[in-house]
Amino acid sequence: MALHLNLLHEEILEQRQRQRDPLKLGMIALVGCGALLFLYYTWNAYRTLEIKSRLTTVERAWKKIEPGVTAAQKRVADLEGVIKTTRTLDDYIDNRFFWAPFLQKVSRCVAPNTQLTNFEGVVLDENKGINVSIEGVAAGREPRSVAEDLRQMLLEQLGQSYSEVKAEFKTLEDLDTIVNVAGTHMATAHYILTVNFNPAAVPKPAESPASARARKQ
Amino acid sequence: MKLNKDQVKKLSLSAIGFVFLLYVYFTFFLGPLNRSRDGMLLKIKDFQSKLDASKEQMNKAVKLEQHAKTSTGRFAALKALNPEGAPIAWFPPRARAFFANQQVDKVVARLEGSIGFKQAELSGWMKYSWIIDLPQADYGTLGRAIAELENTDPLLSITKLSIHTLPDQPQFQHVDLAAVNIIEKK
Repeated sequence: MALHLNLLHEEILEQRQRQRDPLKLGMIALVGCGALLFLYYTWNAYRTLEIKSRLTTVERAWKKIEPGVTAAQKRVADLEGVIKTTRTLDDYIDNRFFWAPFLQKVSRCVAPNTQLTNFEGVVLDENKGINVSIEGVAAGREPRSVAEDLRQMLLEQLGQSYSEVKAEFKTLEDLDTIVNVAGTHMATAHYILTVNFNPAAVPKPAESPASARARKQ
Repeated sequence: MKLNKDQVKKLSLSAIGFVFLLYVYFTFFLGPLNRSRDGMLLKIKDFQSKLDASKEQMNKAVKLEQHAKTSTGRFAALKALNPEGAPIAWFPPRARAFFANQQVDKVVARLEGSIGFKQAELSGWMKYSWIIDLPQADYGTLGRAIAELENTDPLLSITKLSIHTLPDQPQFQHVDLAAVNIIEKK
């Protein structure tokens, strides 16, 4: 076996030690990681810039239509307010109690031998009902029955248009006074009638299917 | 491989350097960038939803404008029923003129009070209560006048009506009306 002498042994060892220097290897690893992180950062920054440009576009589009949208929102709010107010006012108008038709009905009930001297009518709060007080004098052979006829007529006439009609005598008393009506002397009675009713119309009864069918036949 | 003391020191230095690098990277570079990106994405989402909603809003306004034509017309007509100015200045003369046209003279109208509405829809309107005194009216004329009043002034409603005979003038009756008129706040 031949003998080999390595005279560069120490230099090679030193070179190997330099190559395996942990600080140097660490630095290389650090630079490598740094480069990777930098690339990742650059990629993120690029994406962010892209998003920023998208944001700018969207912002510009919004700024363009924002005044129109604000005006539209205001208009919608105004219109909704107008619609609601008009509806409420219409409800109020529709729920009013009309006195003229009522006075007409009362005038139809008053016969020539009855006289009204006082009339007081009040609409109860929130149109819950109407209270009327009618005071007058009835004349006839039987003045009380004349007053009763007036009460019956009121019930009949008012019942055609209103619901829950009640007409009651608060007072009905004979008077000593004798009056002349159409040349005839008649006894008189003083009355006060209290009339209550609901201004809502009487609901018509629903037609039964059987009767509808019979009419068709 | 066995590391000597110097190498262990250098390795520790490298590890510390690496940790420091990561800390700086995430805290001062990537973190703010991500935060800003997330913020921008949120803004885009917000704007996008606003843009989508705005289209609906515009369409709604156009449709509502078409549907509300009747209401707006009616609202304008109701507003036009009452003239400008304080109601106390124009209502009594108007009531007097109205009843004079209906052959009922010597009418006096006076303000009893005014009150606002509870309903939010009518917050811009007020209820004015009036007492209208008709010292000389006959039943038939009064009925026609009231019918005309109720038909021509829909915002006015009569809440109380009293009719009394006049002993010295049997052809006439003394009438008191309590009426409520709805008037827009000026």
